[in-house]
Amino acid sequence: MAINFNRSKTKIFELLPLFLLFYISLNGSSVFNLVLFSINIQYIIIYYWVLKEPEYMGYGFIFLAGVITDIVLGLPIGVTALSLLVVAGFASYTRVVTVRVTVVSNWISFVPALIAANIFYYTSLHFSEFSINYLYLFRDSFFTFLFYPVFWLLFTLILKLAKI
Amino acid sequence: MDTSRGDVGIAIRSAFLGKGSKQKFSLIVLIIFSIVLIFAERIETKPLNYIRGFLKDTIYRGSLFVSLPTQSFNSIFHTTRNHLNLYTNYENLIVENNKLKNSISKQDFLEMENTQLRKLIEEQISSSANLVSARVLMDQKSPYLNSFIINAGANKGIKNGMAALDGENFIGRIVDVSFFSSRVLLVSDLNSRIPAITEPSGFHAIINGHGINNPTLEYLPINHNVKDGDKIYTSGKEGIFAPGIPIGEVKIENNIINVLLFSDLSQVTFANVKLGDKKNYK
Repeated sequence: MAINFNRSKTKIFELLPLFLLFYISLNGSSVFNLVLFSINIQYIIIYYWVLKEPEYMGYGFIFLAGVITDIVLGLPIGVTALSLLVVAGFASYTRVVTVRVTVVSNWISFVPALIAANIFYYTSLHFSEFSINYLYLFRDSFFTFLFYPVFWLLFTLILKLAKI
Repeated sequence: MDTSRGDVGIAIRSAFLGKGSKQKFSLIVLIIFSIVLIFAERIETKPLNYIRGFLKDTIYRGSLFVSLPTQSFNSIFHTTRNHLNLYTNYENLIVENNKLKNSISKQDFLEMENTQLRKLIEEQISSSANLVSARVLMDQKSPYLNSFIINAGANKGIKNGMAALDGENFIGRIVDVSFFSSRVLLVSDLNSRIPAITEPSGFHAIINGHGINNPTLEYLPINHNVKDGDKIYTSGKEGIFAPGIPIGEVKIENNIINVLLFSDLSQVTFANVKLGDKKNYK
């Protein structure tokens, strides 16, 4: 009985990041827009989970979440999927080259991932003849970077709960 | 040096080309597939459009279901706020009502005059049967795209480029049509450019969306005399929208001519799509 409960609990926590990712995509709230700042939660979720527990976050699901986001937000299909996969790629690379993951090393390595993802995002939107507010995207990236440690702590707590 | 370069190469290969223990696809395959999708978005063929339309309709329905809790929360929040502002709104309505009473007689006269003038220039006055009403399914305010989805699409004869109205006021145009749903690009969006005319000054201009703030009136002649309170209508100059659809009024701030829209875009529940002459649309 206790074993079954523990298995179910672990399974729920394993599925939590994916559930969160798809909920955000379908709800069209990938960019958490507050009065003074905005945060791209999808980038944070993907970077954290691919880096820490890639088994919980399949690349196929990341791609699918990106496609859903594009359709819900009315962007050309593939744009968000591409930028999310770039973030996943950087996270995967960091996981391979890093021996011990700390919040600071994790936080710093998030910068190139954000820059690369945004470059791909800008470029693909530019080729799709879409106007975007570059200042807004810069502000969004800055605050996504700034708030990363907060989410890092939150996700680490979830991970610990999953492994208890 | 060689070893370090080799290590980086191995790490990149492992990250992008290798599949993890539980991964079904390698990253590079999905990245290439995403790029192919972006290019495929520009290809307009019937089978591709059908697949895209089906995919979009399905995801819109899913999104509608998932966003129900958020919508309920927003609805409770708006209701509470409306209740708190009830007294202020009541006082404002009394003032507005008095003003309206005074202007009714003047409006009757103008309406009569307008009908006579339209007959005079033999302009086709579109009937209400020319409109398709639809409910707003999703109102996802992306920072990059101000748009919403309505529950009518090609099945109701909607086509790209048609004007979307809130009541009788212009709010945007159709930019993407699936079989059961369409996307309305709002006039406030960064990608929106609407040909307009000012009244009573009578200058042609373009309403330019900016995403977050109010749209502005641009490409006016240098010596224009547009002033606060001037009304703005679609000019019909492009031949896509019918002329004379009310859009908003002018408010000049720091030499920037803002357009205060007649409709509150965040409060639109039903939208009318002006079908017009379908030959004009793709």
